[in-house]
Amino acid sequence: MTPAEPVAAVPTDAALIAAWHGGDEPAAAELVRRHARALARFLAGAGALVADVDDLVQETFIRAFRALRRFRGQCQFRTWLMTIGGNVLKDAHRRSRRARMVPLGDDVRATDGDPHERAVASEAERRLAAGLEQLPRMQREVFLLRAQQGLEYDEIAAALGTTPGAARVHYHHAVRRLKEHIQ
Amino acid sequence: MNDDATLHDAKLQEVARRLGARAAERLDVERTAQAVVERLRTEPRAEVRVLGGIRPAWLRIAATLVIAVGAGVVVRSLWRHHPIGTALIAAGGAGAGAGADLNDLSLDQLRQVLEAVDQPGGEHEAVSAQDLSLDDLSTLELRALLESLEG
Repeated sequence: MTPAEPVAAVPTDAALIAAWHGGDEPAAAELVRRHARALARFLAGAGALVADVDDLVQETFIRAFRALRRFRGQCQFRTWLMTIGGNVLKDAHRRSRRARMVPLGDDVRATDGDPHERAVASEAERRLAAGLEQLPRMQREVFLLRAQQGLEYDEIAAALGTTPGAARVHYHHAVRRLKEHIQ
Repeated sequence: MNDDATLHDAKLQEVARRLGARAAERLDVERTAQAVVERLRTEPRAEVRVLGGIRPAWLRIAATLVIAVGAGVVVRSLWRHHPIGTALIAAGGAGAGAGADLNDLSLDQLRQVLEAVDQPGGEHEAVSAQDLSLDDLSTLELRALLESLEG
């Protein structure tokens, strides 16, 4: 029986950030690998066209790495990244006033293969996406960070520069308005 | 879930968690990582600079100054075309400074000033000095006029 190989410790985001500051490019690539999909979900949920998500993710990372010295660790790197993503998306919308609906196809995920269930899931997502478009930016981002990303109010507040109480209020306003919209 | 059924909080969160999943699945993470690293390598990491190296902070200050100067020019222009400003400028005449006394004004000049003061604000109706008579003056205006004539 061979002795067990020592398990290499997975570097934290902070360690990767420090490595990147030292000029370590693979550290930057690893940060992208870790957070790109979550960022893509956030951007799509916030109204980015699926076709644009790739470019928006790239742009968000570029801005984030350039501003990384201003990141003080007040929240998780991923949460901070999403707030930058929100700015990138806002700028992109300003440049092109195209419709911001997420074009959900027929292959919307559902755990079972029941066509009716899949159609209902698709409709719910479409309505939610449309409802999110109607929300003020703060409510939309708080809702997504909470409901989609599963973050705590403390974390959301730190990322968005507000208080946990205010974040909670934004979330509840968002839920109320989304329910009204969906109904 | 029925088509139009009310979504409860849990259901709303469930739908929210699915939102954007397709976009995330379509994303080629490795290609994105390489593209980001390449851009970071080829595009300088220096601070954002615009217009040939002017820092945005200085640009903002310069823009503020331009706006302030521009606003000043506009206000000055409006003032010169406003009846009160026009009358004062006319009354001041050549060589009359800002401190010119009403006592130094002639009857016609005073009439112009009073005409201008009598104009309702914002309305630039063209009323010539000939249209005015002493009957149109208020008690205060008449008193000011008499005092200036006595002086």
